[in-house]
Amino acid sequence: MLPMALMNGLVMGVIYALAALGVSLVVGIMNVINFAHGEFYILAGYFSYLFADTLGLNPILSMSLAVGMVFLFGIVIEYTIIRPTYGNHMYSLILTFILSIVLQNAYLLIFGPYPKKPPGWVKGATNIFGDFCYGNQRLAALAAGTVLIVAVFLLIKKTWFGRMIRAASQDREMAELNGVNTALLNTFSFGLGCALAAAAGVVLAPVFPVTPTSGVPVALTAFVVVVLGGMGSMWGCVIGGLILGLVENLGAAFISTGYKHLFGFIILIVVLAVKPSGLFGSRET
Amino acid sequence: MSYKRFYVILFLASGLFCLLPLVLDLYRLHVVIVSLFYVMMAASWNLIAGYTGQVSFAHAAFAGIGAYTSGILTVKAGMTSWLGVATGTLTAGVTGLGVGFLCLRMGGIYLSLTTLGFSEILRIIITNEYDITRGTMGLQIPPMIAPYSKAVHFFILLAGTLLTLIVVYKIIHSNMGLNFRAVQNDERAARSLGVNVIRVRVLAFAVSSALAGLAGAIYGHYLMLITPEIPSLDLQFFVLSMAVIGGLGSFAGPIIGSFALTILSEYIRAYGEYHVLVFGLVALAMARFAPQGIMGLARQFMPASGVRQ
Repeated sequence: MLPMALMNGLVMGVIYALAALGVSLVVGIMNVINFAHGEFYILAGYFSYLFADTLGLNPILSMSLAVGMVFLFGIVIEYTIIRPTYGNHMYSLILTFILSIVLQNAYLLIFGPYPKKPPGWVKGATNIFGDFCYGNQRLAALAAGTVLIVAVFLLIKKTWFGRMIRAASQDREMAELNGVNTALLNTFSFGLGCALAAAAGVVLAPVFPVTPTSGVPVALTAFVVVVLGGMGSMWGCVIGGLILGLVENLGAAFISTGYKHLFGFIILIVVLAVKPSGLFGSRET
Repeated sequence: MSYKRFYVILFLASGLFCLLPLVLDLYRLHVVIVSLFYVMMAASWNLIAGYTGQVSFAHAAFAGIGAYTSGILTVKAGMTSWLGVATGTLTAGVTGLGVGFLCLRMGGIYLSLTTLGFSEILRIIITNEYDITRGTMGLQIPPMIAPYSKAVHFFILLAGTLLTLIVVYKIIHSNMGLNFRAVQNDERAARSLGVNVIRVRVLAFAVSSALAGLAGAIYGHYLMLITPEIPSLDLQFFVLSMAVIGGLGSFAGPIIGSFALTILSEYIRAYGEYHVLVFGLVALAMARFAPQGIMGLARQFMPASGVRQ
């Protein structure tokens, strides 16, 4: 049971890390927590289902299309709803919370309450260490998630665009003085944050089918990961995501499945009581 | 508005409300009772969100704490409903104090995240501890006064609403209310003038949680069935949109919002289960284009009518 739980924890941990990177990116640059993060995650699952299952496109193509469309949707949302709330925490919290409920109910109306599942990429199972059989689809999700996380790190740490993002999240005004168009950067990074949620969504949807509200636990866990890792820290997201994934699945295996999502929140409360700036956080806001 | 004028208006309005059981049928009376519950919730949520600028997502959870504490005590320990409601209110207040201490030092985003987490924790516990709470099946509890009558419960909820409105009014018009607004406008300036920012926020949070507990407990006894629907994010969303549509940070806003949305949702119900979506879209449009809500629009278009903050 232990190796199985560890494996599940690893897969979920990578997905949580990916979702949390999106949240963290938006918090770092815009100081906005997007409460609708989980709904963007689900939207990508639905899109990839529509393209692959209903239109019969190739899974890779339909996943890229899904992520691209969620990216554009994120940009539209930033431009129409989030932009006027800059500098006002309260309204961005309220607006994104309302947005998440609106989207959930819109999905319910459009896609119905039943779980939708895009086709898997690979079939069968692999025997791991001669110990147990593990679904190939989950292994593929683990690999895809890892590749995506590495890609995000390269984008942020090595490219010109990443340098702008890091500059703006350290000191907005200084970045502006150096010629960074921060308004455009905001829009683009919000879209990117949504695209990261979408990437987590398309990777995980073939394993865990999507329903209108199944994004909520993932988004809540991503917020816990961001607080645990420290707001704005990328390594914090990866380490925190893995911790959360492992704790949840070990807890579910050995303590109680009903309380699976409770462990994450207990971590959140302990972190806030003991070290509110998180594992890798330097700033206190 | 002076104190005296406030009390005159409040008691005239509640006097008019007292006549309602005579003229309304049972269905319409039910709608008014539900509206009163939402007035209690939205007015107390407004105390923290509108006046101290802290967005808590655990208001429905505190109502749930009140309802379940009172319900479990009356069913399992044989307490009277009145004592149960008092204990429920107190429990919600004390829990609010704890949550407040935990996360208000950090402010803003952390409070919202923790309260969201707290409300999920509570929902998970209530759904899983089937032996005590009967999970999603709901727990059957006795009414406030034994031979069940809608009119009697209407008066009890009306009294609860009056109590809530008076407490909220007293607080925002006291020195503490001045502190609240100072903290909301400019935290650093308020701190430099000797306002104990954290104490102000924690106190506001505890009072508002206790009021939510009271609302939830009474409402639970009125429904005679408490389910995890009370401490759910959906209910939290209703309370939030009522306060936002009515006008955050204004006294009358949440009252208007609660009545308007409860009645609106009854009309939409005739066309199917769209009311959550419609609420959401209206709330989104209001929050985006008229962040001061209906009260803000009234101030803008009728400056002479004396509608004030």
